[in-house]
Amino acid sequence: MTNTVVIGAGLSGLVAAIRLARGGHTVTLLTKGLGGLQLSQGTIDVLGYAPERVDAPVDATSSLPATHPYKVLGPAAITAGIAYVQELLGDRLVGNADRNVLLPTAVGALRPTCLVPPSMTAGVVTGGIRYVLVGFRQLKDFYPKLCAGNLERQTTPAGDQITARGVILDLPAIEDMADSSALAYARALDDPSYRTKLAAILKPMLEDGEVVGLPAIIGHRDPGAHRHLEQLLEHAVFEVPLPPPGVPGIRLNEALTALAKDAGVRIVAGAKVVGFESAGGKIVSVGQATAGRIRQYAADAFVYAPGGFESGALTMDSYGTVTETIFGLPLHGLGPDLVTAGDPGNQALFRVGVGVDSSMRVVDPAGHAPYSNLYAAGGILAGAIRWTEKSGEGIALASAVVAADSILKGA
Amino acid sequence: MMFEPDSHEHDLLNRASLDHCVKCTICETQCPVAAVTPLFSGPKYVGPQAERFRHGESVDHSLDYCSSCGICTHVCPQGVHIAELNSVARAAMKADHMPLRDQLISRTTFMGMAMTPVAPIANAVLKFKPARIAVEKVVGIHRDAAMPKAHTQTLVGWLRGRTAPKAGSRGKLIFFHGCAQNYFEVETGIKTIEVLEHLGFEVIVPKQGCCGLPLQSNGIFDTARSWVRKLVAQLREAPQDLPIISCSTSCGGMLKHEANEILGVKDADLLEVGGRMRDICEFLLEMYDNGELDTSGWLPNQLTIPYHAPCQLRGQNIGTPAVQLMELVPGITVVESGAYCCGIAGTYGLKKEKYDVAMKVGKPVFDKVVAVNEGVAACDSETCRWQIEQATSVPTVHPIAFIHQAMGLSRLPVKTGS
Repeated sequence: MTNTVVIGAGLSGLVAAIRLARGGHTVTLLTKGLGGLQLSQGTIDVLGYAPERVDAPVDATSSLPATHPYKVLGPAAITAGIAYVQELLGDRLVGNADRNVLLPTAVGALRPTCLVPPSMTAGVVTGGIRYVLVGFRQLKDFYPKLCAGNLERQTTPAGDQITARGVILDLPAIEDMADSSALAYARALDDPSYRTKLAAILKPMLEDGEVVGLPAIIGHRDPGAHRHLEQLLEHAVFEVPLPPPGVPGIRLNEALTALAKDAGVRIVAGAKVVGFESAGGKIVSVGQATAGRIRQYAADAFVYAPGGFESGALTMDSYGTVTETIFGLPLHGLGPDLVTAGDPGNQALFRVGVGVDSSMRVVDPAGHAPYSNLYAAGGILAGAIRWTEKSGEGIALASAVVAADSILKGA
Repeated sequence: MMFEPDSHEHDLLNRASLDHCVKCTICETQCPVAAVTPLFSGPKYVGPQAERFRHGESVDHSLDYCSSCGICTHVCPQGVHIAELNSVARAAMKADHMPLRDQLISRTTFMGMAMTPVAPIANAVLKFKPARIAVEKVVGIHRDAAMPKAHTQTLVGWLRGRTAPKAGSRGKLIFFHGCAQNYFEVETGIKTIEVLEHLGFEVIVPKQGCCGLPLQSNGIFDTARSWVRKLVAQLREAPQDLPIISCSTSCGGMLKHEANEILGVKDADLLEVGGRMRDICEFLLEMYDNGELDTSGWLPNQLTIPYHAPCQLRGQNIGTPAVQLMELVPGITVVESGAYCCGIAGTYGLKKEKYDVAMKVGKPVFDKVVAVNEGVAACDSETCRWQIEQATSVPTVHPIAFIHQAMGLSRLPVKTGS
């Protein structure tokens, strides 16, 4: 009864599932865990470095090598992916596909990204900006003075000076808590009275014209928390994403998961897909290791969006053999010195992945499709080092939209 | 306390899956207990991190505040058996000083056998505040905690007293009722059997005891192992090629995976029975997916139902089949609670020192039920239903009740108003 099975609950899996379900398909989404989206920074990176810093991300994809997923997708698909996530999330994301912005990271680097939550826009670096970064003695993931010091060592892209200072508050998320997580603060800040308490301590420490950078903790589920805090402080306020658990990533994941459920996607979480059955050059069903047995899910088409090495969808053994772990698909980008050549984190190994044609159908390096109804999207795709390029979300969105549309057209 | 070198506890405490933990903290963000109380430091801290310091002994006593809901394992993207590690470690921590209360509340069959013959009295006593205060003081069961309601007739008694319908066209099934359906939730058991018979199945109900889950979750492992082994043998006295249907989420889950993964019972017989075990909604939805469930004659019901998928159902990794199943009834709209746990987590919320935590855990569920209900709510697990009903005063039934009603087998649980 299921038209399409989607494997994976990250950005590409959720978006593909929503698009298919809204397109009239019955969709079952199978996922091992919660999906990686909440480990993200809650922004939409399209292309940040190629290899120099990029200002116009879609335009800059033309300079990428032919093996890059963006070259397979083409600029129209990249733009369509960005437009679709904006359509889905509305005013939860601000920005446009033609232009990157630079945002301070938790260590005070300037990170290029494309779409950002409204709670981050005040932090976009501009000439003459004066930052005050605010940390908490009880929050060990953010050191405002380190962040401020590093920001002051840089200039804006136009060469203007950046001014920044750091202050530390002694305010736990919950009374007497010695060590509060970002999420504990975010839950506390969902309560207007906690915002008032924070503002009462912080406001006297602010100087005229300063833009206030807080770690990304301004409310978990209350979208009005950021605006309220700005009103209380009478200053522009922005959020700086932290290491996981990243609250902006949690918000994004919850929003998209809710949209998937609203669209009628049946989500079956908690167990890995461990096998499949095929016939006549097609995948017939995939088997998920539910409690006590392997349950087969049959479908007409399959979207494979499991992520890459980080999720275990790709593995490398001690002999250097790289494997795609569910379907045993042919891989692209294999060669000698996968690990030993290249800077750490930038080795050729990380470009190894699954190849696709322009419809996102999985193909081997010779261009033949091993299964005519198997499509891939997101981090499993060969040819990109997403964390170095800052390209992960853009690839996920464009490939998810194209894979979903290919399946909908074929139906 | 130290464990035998070859025991399951020893294996799990020393290695298991903890090295797969990449410290992504997804479990910490989803833990319903850590979200509401600083008394529990979170599944990653007491699980894969504290584990490294245990050497068979527990180093972090906040572990006792884990409710064993299992959501940490469910959401882990790396396959770490967080809840299982913590259950084993808690058993080790409590082994030398098991409270009398935990010994008592984990023996459901005993409670059922004691209460059934004197059901009206037992129910009256449980509603009598001074008695509950005394029980709280002496035994440690919170005075306001939801307690099961005893019935004068057991499910087995009902089966004995009725004439079973003629054997249907679809063959036979085995029904695993668990203690709750036999003693406290007799109606859910009857409705499940009647739905299956209406579909043309012949339902076989072999003699069966307790699966040992309450013992397991209270850390009384040895007795739990002997009980679950006995139950497996009883279920295997029925024909061994038939699906086994359960409408008790947690007991079905015990046989599917917890006896294996937490108690370390690796018997081939258990694994075989676990592989045949199906939750009733899982079973019916799979029939529907395979084109074997004809819903064309189902009576419409213009009803919005708040529904809570219990943590113990999520742990079976079968999705939320009750949602799709109930929505097969024309007119029914299901609104999910959006929360992982109602707080009761089996026997956790009964305990004097855990009651407030459990009520905070369940608050999002209660709020949703109160906001959405049109006179009735749904939940697969019996202890969760008692908890939700106690907290909201909204009658809460197993999803099968709506299927039973749609088949024209009963007028309850609610008016149709189509």
